Amino acid sequence: MQQSAAPAGDAITLFCLHALGGSARSWDGPSACLGDGVRCVGIDLPGFGDTPMPGRHEVEQLADHVAELVRVAAPVRWGLLGNSMGAKVALAVARRAEDGEAGLSGLERLVLMAGSPPSPEPIPEERRREMLQWFRDGPARDREQARIFVAANVSSPLPADREQAAVEDVLRADKRAWRAWLTVGAAEDWQQRIGVLRTPALVLAGRADADLGPDAQRALMLPHLAHGRLLVLDAGHLLPLERPKEVADAVAAFVRKDGAFPGVAAGPVLPDEAYRAFIASDRVSRRVRAALEKRMEADDPAYAPQVLTPVALALLRAVMARVLPQTSDEANQGTIDLAARLDAQLAAGGGDGWRVATLPPDAEAYERGLRTLDAVARQGAGCPFLCLDGAGQDALLHEVQAGQCRADGLSPHQMLAWFEDVRGDAVRLFVSHPATMARLGYGGIGNGGDEPRLRGFDGSHLDRREAWEPRTPPGPGRVLAETGA
Amino acid sequence: MTGILSLPERRFADEEVVDVVVVGTGAGGAPVLARLAAAGLRVVALEAGAPGPPRDHAADETEATELYWLAERLAGGTTPQPMGANNSGTGVGGSLLHWGAFVPRPDARDLRLRTETGRGRDWPFGLDALLPYLREVEEAIQVSGPRNYPWDPSRRYPQPPVARNQAADAMARACDSLGIRATDAPAALVTRDTEQPGFGTRESCIHCGACHQGCRNGSKAGGDTTFLPAAVLDGAEIRPNCMVTGIERDALGRVSAVIYREDGRERRQRCAALFLCAGAVETPRLLLHAGLCNGSGQVGRNYMAHVATQVWGTVDREIRPNKGYPSSLISEDMVRPADADFVGGYLVQSLGIMPVTWANQVARGRGLWGRGLTDYLAQYNRVIGIGINGDCLPYEENRLTLSDELDESGMPKPLISFSAGENEQRIHAHAERVLSRIWEEAGASDLWTLTRYAHTIGTCRMGPDGDDAVVDGRGRSFEIDNLWICDNSVFPSALSANPALTIMALGLRSADAFLGRLPA
Ligand SMILES: Cc1cc2nc3c(=O)[nH]c(=O)nc-3n(C[C@H](O)[C@H](O)[C@H](O)COP(=O)(O)OP(=O)(O)OC[C@H]3O[C@@H](n4cnc5c(N)ncnc54)[C@H](O)[C@@H]3O)c2cc1C
Ligand code: SF4
Repeated sequence: MQQSAAPAGDAITLFCLHALGGSARSWDGPSACLGDGVRCVGIDLPGFGDTPMPGRHEVEQLADHVAELVRVAAPVRWGLLGNSMGAKVALAVARRAEDGEAGLSGLERLVLMAGSPPSPEPIPEERRREMLQWFRDGPARDREQARIFVAANVSSPLPADREQAAVEDVLRADKRAWRAWLTVGAAEDWQQRIGVLRTPALVLAGRADADLGPDAQRALMLPHLAHGRLLVLDAGHLLPLERPKEVADAVAAFVRKDGAFPGVAAGPVLPDEAYRAFIASDRVSRRVRAALEKRMEADDPAYAPQVLTPVALALLRAVMARVLPQTSDEANQGTIDLAARLDAQLAAGGGDGWRVATLPPDAEAYERGLRTLDAVARQGAGCPFLCLDGAGQDALLHEVQAGQCRADGLSPHQMLAWFEDVRGDAVRLFVSHPATMARLGYGGIGNGGDEPRLRGFDGSHLDRREAWEPRTPPGPGRVLAETGA
Repeated sequence: MTGILSLPERRFADEEVVDVVVVGTGAGGAPVLARLAAAGLRVVALEAGAPGPPRDHAADETEATELYWLAERLAGGTTPQPMGANNSGTGVGGSLLHWGAFVPRPDARDLRLRTETGRGRDWPFGLDALLPYLREVEEAIQVSGPRNYPWDPSRRYPQPPVARNQAADAMARACDSLGIRATDAPAALVTRDTEQPGFGTRESCIHCGACHQGCRNGSKAGGDTTFLPAAVLDGAEIRPNCMVTGIERDALGRVSAVIYREDGRERRQRCAALFLCAGAVETPRLLLHAGLCNGSGQVGRNYMAHVATQVWGTVDREIRPNKGYPSSLISEDMVRPADADFVGGYLVQSLGIMPVTWANQVARGRGLWGRGLTDYLAQYNRVIGIGINGDCLPYEENRLTLSDELDESGMPKPLISFSAGENEQRIHAHAERVLSRIWEEAGASDLWTLTRYAHTIGTCRMGPDGDDAVVDGRGRSFEIDNLWICDNSVFPSALSANPALTIMALGLRSADAFLGRLPA
């Protein structure tokens, strides 16, 4: 464990977790650039630097090691920085902290650099196999391979001393740990375990990083972060080595920042005041009012999907935004999280009583439909669906609707049927929300309260607007005269 | 204050051999139960759904899903049929808790379609055999309708017609200038406060428009406001939340008991006879699951769905489609249109609609999404709809089978394959032209057509011959003489009239047959 300057009063302690083949000193550069108020604690993960190889070398054991060091250090405020492999470990530790594990309170920030995502790492099999063959042919070959490794993971050559240190770190790594990560740790699927983290997170990606660059971070990492933000640097994979100053600046700004983070709920989506008064009025029955109030509750930005994977939930949010774009023009109007609400419904088993026989059960159809959409994007547009702009996403959805969406997964015909379900589910959740009812000027909820004799509508004036009925939003054409007017 | 159906306290013991168990309390089960109870029989209705007192309903489409049959069904064929909210209900009162209460009588020609055209299938009896029962039902449930029914001047309805909503007004004016006859729809609701035996007061319709969410003041007729309270008065038991999953037989092969689940426990009610009234999906599912009455191979076959095309448009004034009884205008002019290139015909009705149902149709049926969808949804208060109910021919291969997935009842989920045939497509195309013409005449723009089918019909048809029908013309199974069926499943053909009035009439008629009161 390497520590920078002693902590000042309310300094935040950042535990820094290195990449494969790195060590605590991978962080010397950024650590030196970070000013007061931040204390960096570099950690040698098991099997790397000076920490011996543990009995088992899985993400769980690496996280155990880090959690123990955090507990011993007992910081009041702390954060986690992780590069590549270290980021996956950081995610695992953050999950424990958010779950309230003893001794881990006070986690405030998460910085993930070229992070290995919770899902199995998308590394080409050939490269993985090559790296597994390394370090078996004597010291001279070993050094050459270590050099190749470091050079391949930066976008421009490192200064000689830094390069030297990085190569030494690779060489002193326990090669069992090296291989364990490549065969086990990187392939572990932590998607469900990590779920969606609430801790504010900064995701750094190197533009020149082949496997874990900006696209991979958007598609595989951000879905797990309720309050995550992506920053792209001109760099390769080993960001703290290649861009110590920029990394330090980004971290410093992020750690200092308080207030709102992207994705933080703007509070509940509410209908306008007149409609809220309408809901509260005696024209609406208690039962309907209670149901509407429940529906108006704010969505949780860190909603943890119960049926979908976090990545599928992110895909569904993206699809919902295209299918049913919600304007947030008026003050205090956020958007309704249709995707989260749908997941909750799927989890509750509240189906609509049928499904097209050619589709798998609803929850599975959603997961697979979304994955198919993503596969089409990767195939056709060369990038994940989440990295396409609106027009690009629309183009794919049009293909789906035309029954022409071909990729591994659901068939074009299944995708067509599934997309119909998506549209139906989207409008059902959207239109049943009181904020939407208000926008439509829908008065049906007020057709009877709880009085002994219900009032309904005046049958001799169904072509008039009764004074209590909400107004139709501005649009073409005449509005109805009010009854009695 | 509106009345309520109070379920009786007493319960027949499971071991007691009751005279008749009725499975299901919908359009078929409710009148059967009432008639048998009135004759002094010891009868029990086992109903999978819960009691839904009128005042407990909610004028909210999401809350109202409790009235739908939501156990999953699988839809196959080239025109897979949406289930759930589209066509099947549950609860004490069955689908009549949420139905639209639009009650045209069947047309005599539709029962003789095969004789007339060589296609489809005749009913085992003519309209004259049904007419007394139709009249009796109209009286028993108090149907409202026009003083003069243009297509049947002799007809009289017990209650004055319900107020027209804006879509009905627009349709009436447009039909008038096009020379199409249209009038107030026969609607199974009361337009003045009415005392209903065993129920209490059914309050006059308040035009709330929420028929599909359950009528909160008992105006709308359903088993729960009419036949079921009458049955209870006469000593019938109604046992809610009981899902029948099996049928037991004695050594002679006759029904001796039904197996049902209540509170997660399996129980068995002994009985001397059984009426299956679980609807055109659940009745054949139960029979297929139990392996009964299927010597003809007809159980599950000839599944039919009415052609239910709708045309929607936008007008330059507020319509507020949620207001008023939804289907307050009818035209029977298209029951045999002169320029038909199909057999049979259809009824036209004006539409009211609630926003979630409408939006769902728009998103699925019009295929809109993106900005186009949100912009169009905002037009809700200005849209106007008109629709049809059209005949559907029976086809062997449109059928219900058991899938290999189980649902929560432990029975296999039904797989319903339905492919609209050429005749249905032609009816749809004809209707699209006629309805569009009416709406153009009414000044609507941005017209679009929703291709749609509705109702669950057929699957246990009645007929004169046990080789190709499941029950005879009275509703008795050809194979098990104490097993009767009375619900939408026994229809040999779909008819152009909406089904429920006919099902209720069949209920009374089958019960009379069971009681030996029907002339041979
Ligand atoms: C939205 C909607 C609107 C409609 N509008 C109209 C209309 O305006 N006019 C019209 O004529 N028709 C209308 N219908 C159709 C009409 O409601 C049905 O045709 C009619 O109710 C069918 O009667 P049934 O007896 O066959 O079945 P149902 O009325 O559906 O009754 C079947 C009952 O059996 C129960 N059940 C099923 N299986 C079991 C089991 N295993 N054990 C115990 N109980 C069981 C169910 O819970 C249900 O209560 C409408 C239908 C819907 C869905
Ligand atoms: S419109 Fe009339 S019949 Fe329909 S639910 Fe309202 S009050 Fe009942």
